[in-house]
Amino acid sequence: MISSLGYLAVGGALLLSVVGAVAAFAAMGGRPQLAPWARRAVYGVFALATLAILLMAVALVAHDFSVSYVAQVGSRSTPLFYTVISLWSSLDGSILFWGWILAGYSAAVVYIHRDRYQDLMPAVTGTLLIVSAFFWLLLAWPANPFVPTWQAFGLAPGQVPADGPGPNPLLQNHPFMGLHPPLLYLGYVGLTVPFAFGIAALLSGKVSGDWIRAVRLWTMAPWIFLTAGIVSGAWWSYEVLGWGGYWAWDPVENASFLPWLTATAFLHSIMVQERRQTLKMWNILLVIATFLLTLFGTFLTRSGILASVHAFVEGLIGPFFLGFITLVLIVSLALVAWRSDELKSEPALDAIASRETAFLFNNLLLVAFTFTVLLGTVYPLVAEAIRGVKVSVGAPYFNRMSVPIALGLVLLAGIGPALPWRRGSPDLLAKKFLWPTVAALLSGVVFWVFGARNFLTWLTLVFSVLAVALLIGEFWRPARARREAHGEGLGRALLAVVSKNRRRYGGYVVHFGIVIIAVGIALSSTYRREREFTLGIGEAATFAGYTVRLDSLYAGREPQRDFVEAAFSVGGDGGFSDTMRPRLNYYPTSQQPIGTPRVRTRPDADLYLSLMAYDRTGASATVNIIVNPMVVWIWIGGAIAALGALLAISNAGSGADRSRRAAAPSVRRAKPAEAGVGGDD
Amino acid sequence: MATRITLFLLLLAVSPAVEGSGFAFAQETQEAAATMPAEDPELEAQVRRIAAKLRCPTCRALSVQDSPSGMAQEMRSLIREQLLAGKTPAEVEAYFVERYGEWILLEPKAEGFNWAVWLLPVFLLLGGLAFVLITARRWVREGQARAAALVKEGQEGEL
Repeated sequence: MISSLGYLAVGGALLLSVVGAVAAFAAMGGRPQLAPWARRAVYGVFALATLAILLMAVALVAHDFSVSYVAQVGSRSTPLFYTVISLWSSLDGSILFWGWILAGYSAAVVYIHRDRYQDLMPAVTGTLLIVSAFFWLLLAWPANPFVPTWQAFGLAPGQVPADGPGPNPLLQNHPFMGLHPPLLYLGYVGLTVPFAFGIAALLSGKVSGDWIRAVRLWTMAPWIFLTAGIVSGAWWSYEVLGWGGYWAWDPVENASFLPWLTATAFLHSIMVQERRQTLKMWNILLVIATFLLTLFGTFLTRSGILASVHAFVEGLIGPFFLGFITLVLIVSLALVAWRSDELKSEPALDAIASRETAFLFNNLLLVAFTFTVLLGTVYPLVAEAIRGVKVSVGAPYFNRMSVPIALGLVLLAGIGPALPWRRGSPDLLAKKFLWPTVAALLSGVVFWVFGARNFLTWLTLVFSVLAVALLIGEFWRPARARREAHGEGLGRALLAVVSKNRRRYGGYVVHFGIVIIAVGIALSSTYRREREFTLGIGEAATFAGYTVRLDSLYAGREPQRDFVEAAFSVGGDGGFSDTMRPRLNYYPTSQQPIGTPRVRTRPDADLYLSLMAYDRTGASATVNIIVNPMVVWIWIGGAIAALGALLAISNAGSGADRSRRAAAPSVRRAKPAEAGVGGDD
Repeated sequence: MATRITLFLLLLAVSPAVEGSGFAFAQETQEAAATMPAEDPELEAQVRRIAAKLRCPTCRALSVQDSPSGMAQEMRSLIREQLLAGKTPAEVEAYFVERYGEWILLEPKAEGFNWAVWLLPVFLLLGGLAFVLITARRWVREGQARAAALVKEGQEGEL
């Protein structure tokens, strides 16, 4: 029943996507009366996608094991929460989820812009529907989650298994699984929209103006989700995987990071085009690259190709993705070549020490970062194909290569905002840079005295102080000017300054967040300490200023798993203040126990306990004690970055924002040297 | 700003060469605490340094140092034993490479074809930096020339 309805929904969505795409491109090619029909097709796809995802949710919750996806990931003993979220815990379901989110974004885009951007929207709609058709084709064929179980599993016709194995144990061990994947998908899939606008700009020949304005919001929104998704993913692996780290440069992590880097570059470089009508070609290429990286990342992580070059030909998903990536690449580049004359732009730079140049360096660093991570991720495949030898590229490589680039980005996070557009008077620059530089140099001495002897960590701290001081100056100077002009309190003046130009100050808040993340990463990775102890009941260990005592060790049973748990009293030098219960979970489908560490989070340092082993008589347990300084600041920095970006788009689309922008250029030309106080970005 | 960027590019250029000298970001040597007097801090630091370079064969993307798995624990004690038996860190690494293949190393050895993975990003960054600097200067120059031409045109128009 659900299988058949699912087939109908999936098939219908595929058909509507194709028909709608045809209508959309016909509307662009001289039959504008078809544009509303293309829009209706988008709403129809969204309705059918919603139906499909609801059907799957019902099948999962009702434990309908006649549906093959449910038979793969469902189990009667899995708690309801994990049953619902197992919607995205395996390949077919996650592609269905993808299709639904894409349909949602598409519907939102065509609805919000139903009366605007008449030149662009048909092509935007058509491009979105073509991408949508690709995913519904995947869902109709190689990744169909609605295939009846007996067909998929090779059982007798109509046979239904009594129970299923449940989701992958790692994916049902922490509630963050309900948060991290949807955020990541909302970011990843959302990046299709800016790509669609880019293609529409190429097709319509209108490569400046409208598309740049429209695309900012449609890139910021996925960027916020992607940022939150990546940080929550890091947090998830920290809380679940038991090794006390949050980022292993695993290909799956890299795949999410790559489009984040290029989308970040794009968000910066479109500001240059908005202001100076330059970098037209570059922006189009960046938005195409971003979309291709989302496809390529999915291809890498979903096709099995990383396990081995030979594994991927076994399934159809890999060839499908590779085919689609090739198609997108060829079509996009052909369009770029076709429009290369329109994409030429006049050089627009008045001085080297300007905001524009800072953006150029920002783009260079982000693209070099992208290239490095991409190269490291695919190098094992290249080496296997060319040398015939399996090699690994892991954390040591990525850390070594990316830290210098990341350092440059931290530096730019402060320098960029301090540099005015066009050119700044040497006086203004000296005023802006003097105190931050002094503060950074002094802090360098202080950090050295307090024992920061790892050079790169020390440099990260010094650069961070410089960046933060420069950013504070960007808030402080206009707030002080306003206080003097209006006689307000400093707090009110600051609030007024920020809320009048949310786009600009929201962006700077993001920079604060990024710098805080950098500091958290630098300190936690350099000053992490860990040690393994085997303790008898009642025995205590002292390590790095913490005392940890094993109080008891016991086993228990929950519906979906068995567990062994150890209770530890923990505290600083002055006695015990908390109890922590790390455990080992035993799932029937997993031979290895799934460790479940416990973390006591404090602003200065986390205490992280991982139960490693236990004595079968219950007399002793082996625990890995990890002291991770400043880790919590990575999550806080991530939240600040996401909230800052939210602030930056909080009045996007409001009339005030646009009219002010339209009026701005003449004002700006009148007094360029004051750009440190005026200006939008 | 140009000089600052050059400084960090220099860092990038030298860092692959400075093997394990505290230049790598992850896991600076952590001196052991005093509760287990039997432990030799120098030996443990050496074990950690080697373990951080080896891949845990049963995990995804984790090093032998980071992995909590049983396999990684065994490999760590194997490293310790071999070091105690008088092998040099290079010999210990070679032992694991011989046993598992190059795959066990988390960093490709900088030799032969592998140089590509080390040098291409550096070339891209250095080339990109040169390109951006040269282009930026040209743009500033052209912009000034255009502005001057405009001014001149305007003056001629007035005459």
